[in-house]
Formats: sequence, structure tokens, C-alpha cells
Amino acid sequence: MSELAIDIGTLRKCYGRFVALAGVSLAVPKGEVFGLLGPNGAGKSTLVKSLLTIVRPTRCDGSLLGQRIGHRKTLARVGYLPEHARFPDYLTGRQIISYSAGLAKVPRRVAKARAEHLLEIVGMAEWADRKNGTYSKGMRQRVGLAQALVNEPEIVFLDEPTDGVDPEGRVEIRKLIERMREEGRTVFVNSHLLGEVEQVADRVAIMARGAIVKQGTVEELTHAENRYEIKTLGPVPVEARKTLEEEGISVAGDTIHVHAEGAEQVQPVIDLLRGTGSPIRQINEVRSTLEDVFMEAVNRQKGEAV
Amino acid sequence: MSQFLAVFIDALRLLKAKALFWITLAISVLAAVLYFSIGFNEEGITLFFGVETWENEFIRAGSPLAEMFYLGIFSMVMVNIWLSWVAVILALVTCAPVFPSFMQEGSAGTVLCKPIGRLKLFVFKYLSGLLFAFLQTSIFCLIVFFAIRFRVGTWNPSVFWAVPLIVLMFSYLWSILVTVGVRTKSVMASLLAALLVWGAAWISKVTEEYIYMAAEMGELPTGDGTMRLSDEEQQNFREGYALYSLPYKVLPKTTDTINLLQRYITVEGEREFSMTQLIGAMSGFGSEEDEVTEAALKRHSPVYIIGTSLAFEFVVLGFGAWMFVRRDF
Repeated sequence: MSELAIDIGTLRKCYGRFVALAGVSLAVPKGEVFGLLGPNGAGKSTLVKSLLTIVRPTRCDGSLLGQRIGHRKTLARVGYLPEHARFPDYLTGRQIISYSAGLAKVPRRVAKARAEHLLEIVGMAEWADRKNGTYSKGMRQRVGLAQALVNEPEIVFLDEPTDGVDPEGRVEIRKLIERMREEGRTVFVNSHLLGEVEQVADRVAIMARGAIVKQGTVEELTHAENRYEIKTLGPVPVEARKTLEEEGISVAGDTIHVHAEGAEQVQPVIDLLRGTGSPIRQINEVRSTLEDVFMEAVNRQKGEAV
Repeated sequence: MSQFLAVFIDALRLLKAKALFWITLAISVLAAVLYFSIGFNEEGITLFFGVETWENEFIRAGSPLAEMFYLGIFSMVMVNIWLSWVAVILALVTCAPVFPSFMQEGSAGTVLCKPIGRLKLFVFKYLSGLLFAFLQTSIFCLIVFFAIRFRVGTWNPSVFWAVPLIVLMFSYLWSILVTVGVRTKSVMASLLAALLVWGAAWISKVTEEYIYMAAEMGELPTGDGTMRLSDEEQQNFREGYALYSLPYKVLPKTTDTINLLQRYITVEGEREFSMTQLIGAMSGFGSEEDEVTEAALKRHSPVYIIGTSLAFEFVVLGFGAWMFVRRDF
């Protein structure tokens, strides 16, 4: 794995007896788009807030951009768009970006130029001088994205960035994330919208009940769950069915489900069917979606908890 | 510095967006213009740019007490009633949501993720909250400064003492507003707490004065004057003074801080302002100073008044800062 933007050994956060993060361990390489998936209440936002000192972890051992987590000056190299981001209604879009730049210690002249550029990028240049109170949810989210980028961060945390945004806006946000990756930034996206993360993320972690239950590249996660589907002309002969079931392969009517890493592992099944004279109608490589992987991981975690 | 500037500019924009700020400013300007309408002629004091005349043999054009009268109106009416009561209440109402709304979900995160320490941020936000009182008082004093020049003929920069004193007095209450706001995230709770402490401070001040009069002067104020106490009764009050004046000692001295203005403003650039002399002149009894009453009014030193009040403020604010630094957002 290349140089790490985030390297967490252990991260634990408890609120009294409630364990929000149960010793999370995570590695995010630099320059990649990383998607953190999980159902509501899994601890995704708490994890990000802990990295950004918004929440004080109970126990933390790790680094962010090569510095220990909690190192204040490192935050100058970080951008963040929180979930349900709220900016004062009395500020205009331009003023929100300027305020954020001031707090991130960006010189005024530089901030002014960057604000113009960012407003163009997020498509808010036309409404830049209107008050935040008059913006729609999508417009607020765009301004939020712009303010997160005003310090030209090396890593950007986006917590549910497409929440409340219309389909067109979602596409634009996705393009913006891709653009950030092209610029060499690390993008950490928190979301419960699997399809969106799957489209944009290089690497994914699945979180449930305060713990990372699975992590890897999208390719690795979905590939690991590969299976083949073989359909016969008419029901699978009883003898063949019996043999297959003994091998742990499931058969339902005219369909055989084979979990296999590669096509060569399917050959014995084909040979068996040919041996029984049963004509093969169709063979498909069925690739798991991220949703399948997610549901399986979350359900397994639930089962273990019970 | 750029971080402080960012917080400061944000506070200015907040005030600019608040209708109450402009309403208060408009009333302040109106009050200053009314003050400006007071003048003097050969017979006495003129009101509403000369429409009415109030005859007075001691206070009239060219008399030595004219400036003192003008400053007395400034300190007793304009500052003591308008600036230190009504304007402060409006300032508290305007500033009360600053911390609770900052601490709402999605709001604090956008700021706390920046490279700014929490304590620093807390102090910056606290200081920028004093802007309301500072701006209102400064504009008001500026008009008064020119009014005095026009009506009395002297430049009197000592009126600007009102600015730090009003801001200081507001800061005592603002510290409570901030701390309770951080603790409860409730605008109403913080506002009520500030008003409660303010009320308690005022009651403790009145109680202390009452006990002091009885213990040291042997007199108690009654509806129709004063009642003389026996030696034994006076001794009882002396023994109880330490206990009954304890709340006064501990709580911020809001009224006394404002009353310091009467000690700091000068007449004709050198003479001290005398409340008893002015009251005597206005009621037609003469213009002599009552030294005993003056001494009683000035029995607490400015260091004691401001020092103990600031000690209260630092304790309250320290608690607020501690909570702000430690809590999760």
C-alpha cells in the first residue's frame, strides 16, 4: 500500500456505557477516494469527528497526514463538510468561504481568488452574493463543499455529501470528487448510499455497530463474493443434484449456484452435467454488488451481536 | 491575527443582520439628540432646543454648574438608565443566541475542524460578543461629546469613560450568558440566568447600602425621611454587616461599575463631578457639596469594584471555557 493519509491503530469512543466506536482500525492511502459505508448510527460521523478533534476520543492511536491524530496544525491541510452542515443565514456564499479561509489561516488575497474559483467550480458564482438563508439545500451543500476546499486541503472529509441534493447535483458532486482525486487529494466519503460510493471510491470500508467489519478495494470486496449461475434445460437431474449438494453447491429447480474464485472451478460442475446428459442452457458469472457485500457484512455483525 | 479577524468580521456581520441592533442604535441616536436639545439661557435650563425654560438660579448660561448639570444628565439619565439598563437588555437579547446556535449540530464542526485551538476560539467569540455594547456606547458618547462642546463650550473627553465602563458591566453579564449557553445550548436558559444574576447583584447592592447606612450612620431610610437607630440597634447592624454584605462582595458590581463614571468625568477639565452639589443646585438648596454623603458614595475603591467583579467574571468564564474545551460536538 502507498503512503497513508490516515493510519488508525485503535480508535475508541464511549459515551458513558454506550460504545460508539469499538476500537476502529483503518488505513487510507494518499490520493485515493475512500468510502466509509454503514447504516445510520454505525459510528461513521463519530469516526470522522474524532479524526478532526470535534469529538474527543476515549482512546486513540494513529496518524493523520503523518502527524498524530489531534495535532492542531495538521488541520490546516484538511477540508471538511459535515453532515447537515449549518452556516449562518446572515452570510452570503462568498462570505462563508471567506470566513472558512480566515479560520484556516489562508491569506486574504489568496482566499479571495480561491473563493471566486471555487464558486465557479461548484456552480454557485451566480448566487455568491445572496444570503445563505435564501439558498436551497443543494445550494448550501455546494457552498459547503467550496468552503471545505478553500485551504487547498490534502485530504477532504465529506460526510453524507449528497444528502438532500437532487440527482443532477449528485452527479456534479461525484464529478467534483473525481476532480479532487485527479488533483492528488485524498477524499474520505461517509455515506449510506452504496451505489454512489461504488461509482466513485477506490477503496471501501464497511462499518457496523462502531466497528469496521470489512475493508478493501471495491474490486477486492466484490470479487471475493463471486459466484456462477448455471441453468439447465429442465430441472437438474436428481443424481447430479445429490452429488452437487454433497459438495455444498446449492441447486434450485433448473439453476445451480456455484461460489467460485475463477471459471476453472466451475468446470467439474459442467462435466458432471454433461455426464448426466443434461443440456446446459446458460452460464453466467454473477458478480456481487457492493450492496450484497454490505448487507451480508452488516447482517453478520447483527447476528454476532445477538 | 487572521483568525481573530475572521471571527470579528463574522460578529460584525451578525450584528448588521440583527434588527434589534439597528433599533437600539436608532433609539440611542434619538436619546443623544434629545440630550443635545437641552441648553442654557440667562434664566436657567432650556429644553427641546429652547421651546421650554426651567428657571434655576444656580444652573444657567455661563454659571459654573452648567457643565456639571449637563454631565449629570449624561451620567444619571443617559448612561444610568438608557445605556446601562435598556440598551444592555437589548444587547443581551441580541447576543444570547451566539453560543447556543454555534453549538448546534453541523455548525460547530465547520469551525472546530480548522487549525484553531478551542480555548482561543472561545476567547475570540467571547470578545467579539462585546462589540454590540462597544459600538452602541461609542456612537452615543461621540454625539454627547459634540453636544457638550456646542452647549457648554468645552471639549470634555472624559465622557468617553462611559465606553469601557459600559462594556465592562456588559461583560459581567455576557460571561454568564456564554457559560450557561455552553452548558445548556439554550438561548432562553442563558438569558434568564444572566437576568437573574443581574437582579441578584442589584438587590445585594441595595441591601449592602441599607446595612451600611444603619451600621455606620445609625440611620435607616423610611418613606418620609430617615429613622434614627439606638446605639444597640446600630451595633447589631455592625455585627451583621459582614454576613449581609457577602452577596454584594461576591457578585459582580454592575451598578457600582456604571457609577464609577461619576468619579471619572471631570468638569472644566479638572474639577471632580459632585453628585450632592448637583442635586443641591437642582433642588434650589444651594451648591455646596455634602462631604459625608460623597464619602459614603465613594467608599468602595474602583480597584475593589472592578477587581471583585472581574474575579467573578473570570471564575464564571473559566468554567464556561473548561466546558467548551472538553465537550464533544
